Amino acid sequence: MADILGGIVEAFQLIFTGDPEILGIVSRSLLFSGTAVILAILWGTPLAMLIAMKEFRGKTVIKTFLNTLIGLPTVVLGLILFLIISRGGPIGFLGLLYTPAAIMIGQAILVTPILVSIGVSAIESVDPEIMSLSKTLGASESQAQVAVLKEAASGIILSDIASFNRAIGELGVVLLVGGNIVGVGNRTDVLTTAISRNVQIGEIGLAVALGILLVIILFTINIIVAVLRKANYIVELAKAPYFRLKRYRETKQ
Amino acid sequence: MMVIAELKDVTKAYGNKIVVDAVNLQIREGEILALLGPNGSGKTTILKILAFIENPTGGEVKFQGKAVNFKNTEKERMQSTLVFQKTTLFGTSVYNNIAYGLKIRKVPKETRDREVKKALEIVKLEGFEKRNATKLSGGEQQRVAIARALVLKTKLLLLDEPTANLDPKNVGILEDVIDTVNRENKTTIVMATHNMFQAKKLPHRIALMDEGKITEIGAPAEVFGKLSKNLARFAAVDNTFTGTAKATASGTSKVDVGNGVQIEVTSQKQGTAAVFVNPQDIILSKTAVESSARNVFKGKITEISDLDSLVKLKIDVGKTFTVQITKQSFNEMGLCLNAEVFITFKASSVQVL
Amino acid sequence: MQAWQKLLIVAALATIIVVAGTIVYFNYFTKRRLFISTTTSLDDTKLLEKIESDYEATHNVDLNILAVGTGIAIQHAKNGDADVVLVHAPSVELSFLEDGYGVNRKIIAYNFFTIVGPADDPAQTSGKTATEALFNIVQYGQNMPDQSGGTQIWVSRGDNSGTNSKEKSLWTAAGYNYTELSEEVWFASTGQGMGSTLTIADQKNAYTLSDIGTYLKFYSDGTISLSSLILEEQPLLNVYSVMAVSPTVSANQSVHEDINFEDAMDFIEYLVSDETQELITNYGKDTYGQSLFTGAVQPLIDDAPQPLVSWIQDYAFFDGSECPPQYRNGYADLYT
Repeated sequence: MADILGGIVEAFQLIFTGDPEILGIVSRSLLFSGTAVILAILWGTPLAMLIAMKEFRGKTVIKTFLNTLIGLPTVVLGLILFLIISRGGPIGFLGLLYTPAAIMIGQAILVTPILVSIGVSAIESVDPEIMSLSKTLGASESQAQVAVLKEAASGIILSDIASFNRAIGELGVVLLVGGNIVGVGNRTDVLTTAISRNVQIGEIGLAVALGILLVIILFTINIIVAVLRKANYIVELAKAPYFRLKRYRETKQ
Repeated sequence: MMVIAELKDVTKAYGNKIVVDAVNLQIREGEILALLGPNGSGKTTILKILAFIENPTGGEVKFQGKAVNFKNTEKERMQSTLVFQKTTLFGTSVYNNIAYGLKIRKVPKETRDREVKKALEIVKLEGFEKRNATKLSGGEQQRVAIARALVLKTKLLLLDEPTANLDPKNVGILEDVIDTVNRENKTTIVMATHNMFQAKKLPHRIALMDEGKITEIGAPAEVFGKLSKNLARFAAVDNTFTGTAKATASGTSKVDVGNGVQIEVTSQKQGTAAVFVNPQDIILSKTAVESSARNVFKGKITEISDLDSLVKLKIDVGKTFTVQITKQSFNEMGLCLNAEVFITFKASSVQVL
Repeated sequence: MQAWQKLLIVAALATIIVVAGTIVYFNYFTKRRLFISTTTSLDDTKLLEKIESDYEATHNVDLNILAVGTGIAIQHAKNGDADVVLVHAPSVELSFLEDGYGVNRKIIAYNFFTIVGPADDPAQTSGKTATEALFNIVQYGQNMPDQSGGTQIWVSRGDNSGTNSKEKSLWTAAGYNYTELSEEVWFASTGQGMGSTLTIADQKNAYTLSDIGTYLKFYSDGTISLSSLILEEQPLLNVYSVMAVSPTVSANQSVHEDINFEDAMDFIEYLVSDETQELITNYGKDTYGQSLFTGAVQPLIDDAPQPLVSWIQDYAFFDGSECPPQYRNGYADLYT
């Protein structure tokens, strides 16, 4: 109990004093997982569009396969990737083991199934008439697909956030392919690996503090996104009376 | 008289079901053509083919003199647009909905703003730019969809049952819009409808459709005049009945349409006749009303449809009549399915076809 | 081209940029990296952290320390994912040299293992020899009231680490079969590092084998309340050695380009230098009241104190040397 309370106190101390070690760990967590999610969005969105909008044999099989991959344990993926990029492995000569790139790509692979799965769901729940509608308004096939994507925006943003949450909170991949390297030079330790390591070496208070920080970050990011979406709507609402007033004044003159 | 679009032996089949059956049709530039027929007669499919968003299974389509290659209809789609029967809107502002086609056509912002404003004025929705399109009433949404199509100033404007779910006020607005757009912009309009009244007033020509074929085409007066040959076709259309007319002593005629239903009409007729009663001319009551109206029938409510501010009811009095009343009246009268009601209408409201 | 195709192309480009960018960066724009794979016990005491900052202050190399446990450390080195191994399991080290994976071994430090356990010492191990203590523990475990598996009296690393190797040899010396023992209800295996294993033993009120360094750190941090119950003796000697990963592939004697041999040797020379040996010996004295490790280089040169040096030679020398000549690769002055 003392450790938890001590950890909470320590967490706030660390945040407010801007301890550079902690700042480093946090920024690495955000950088690695942020880049991973961006990569996953780049790969995954066209994949989701393809699966949702095109008809092809084996569609159900692929969708089921993706859904299963969502539950893939991070250590398993981490192990597979490790074997591939280790110097003894097939692409070992690239020297990617223990680099940030390995973490970014590893996490991107990890979250792609979630992103695609939720994305496909979101796109499929868009009114099927939207495609024809866009076309009859002059859109090309490509533009019509974008219109459908826009209608699915809400669900797609959800899939992006879910992916980020999973990436920044995972341990198996970043530990195995990143190596949790601390020290002065190119570090690969992030919040989750730091928590794990600190527990191992008995620094429970620091581990708790890092854990709290991680939760705070998750919370903050999700709040910001929610606010932005509401804000968009609120701004639109706020503009309406302004424009009504403007029009009223114009007609009065 | 230029032919702007032509269907030559066009067939459309979905699997084994033939929806459009070897149709030949020429659309004249600048005309308003109405496709009239019951649900399932192929009207919507023909419109979709003319909008180039559905490809025929057989036959050839020509647009502005050139054969259309349905593998790539991008260019043609810029000149032909369809307003769907079921209003479909983008989940964004009214402005963004209406401006969508303009943005695709790379129209500059200033022009876009102006055109959107004009379009909203035409459909009587001024100032609605910033409103969320999905939060509007059914009638407003449909008008946004129309504005969205109008703004594109396409050569060909296709409307699928544009007034089907609108209350009388909105129907009037829309019919005016269609008329104006055709007259002022010389837009060729093809509209599908199963409202006989509309089919009589608006179009230059009407084409009767049944089971994927065009059975009759010509000016309204012509077609309605030839109706004796086509009586059976209209059975499926709301409030249209065929039967035998017998003149009465008082200068009217009674038309026996079957099942003991005799409709009194003001004109003198003898022999086979087809009659039509506008749903809005029918009064609905829970008890028999004593009035000057000659046509009173007792029956049961067999169907109730909610249309925003109106309620559409089907009453079986031996034959089924469609009646429209306001939501308020519906609620005040406390009606439900199988309720016993009376319908009343004047002999002079009955249109003899 | 359809929208999704365009996006896929962007995605492919982005991935290539990330990968290529990293390769270029690590090969041209940053310090050379030296990968050291090592035991958890050296790391859990934070001695390596100190060594790392000390080394990086004076050498333009980025030390990447992978504290994974002896078994994995060796495996990493065999794959070519490490340039230096720093472990404490002589038998494993010998195979490593014999199989041609390692060269230039130096013994750099020593301490003792200890058997730690609950302060009230239910198995009465205090003051006994290792063999006697283990015997008592087995007796206690086989006769204790709770035979359901809910209580354990011994916790093993169970991870092929250096500590685990030592543990197994102790059990053998006491006349037991480790594999059979690990099936008994009072015997637990963690598969984790020294720190975690100590914590688990603490929570279970059980005994375990630990190096003195990790134990002292955890004890004085208040993380555990186990007591160190038996004394230093020869069977409990713990010797740390460093080896460089051979730059030639043993299978076909071709050059293994990824191995950073030069920096590895620089690091080994640093470890055996007087200053570093002093740093190692003094580490922890202020905080814990005693050294956690003692530098082994000078004692081996001086051949004193005894019997310690002969214990080291018995335990960790191969063919009378810390590194027989056939396993050396240059750097002759390391072995005067």
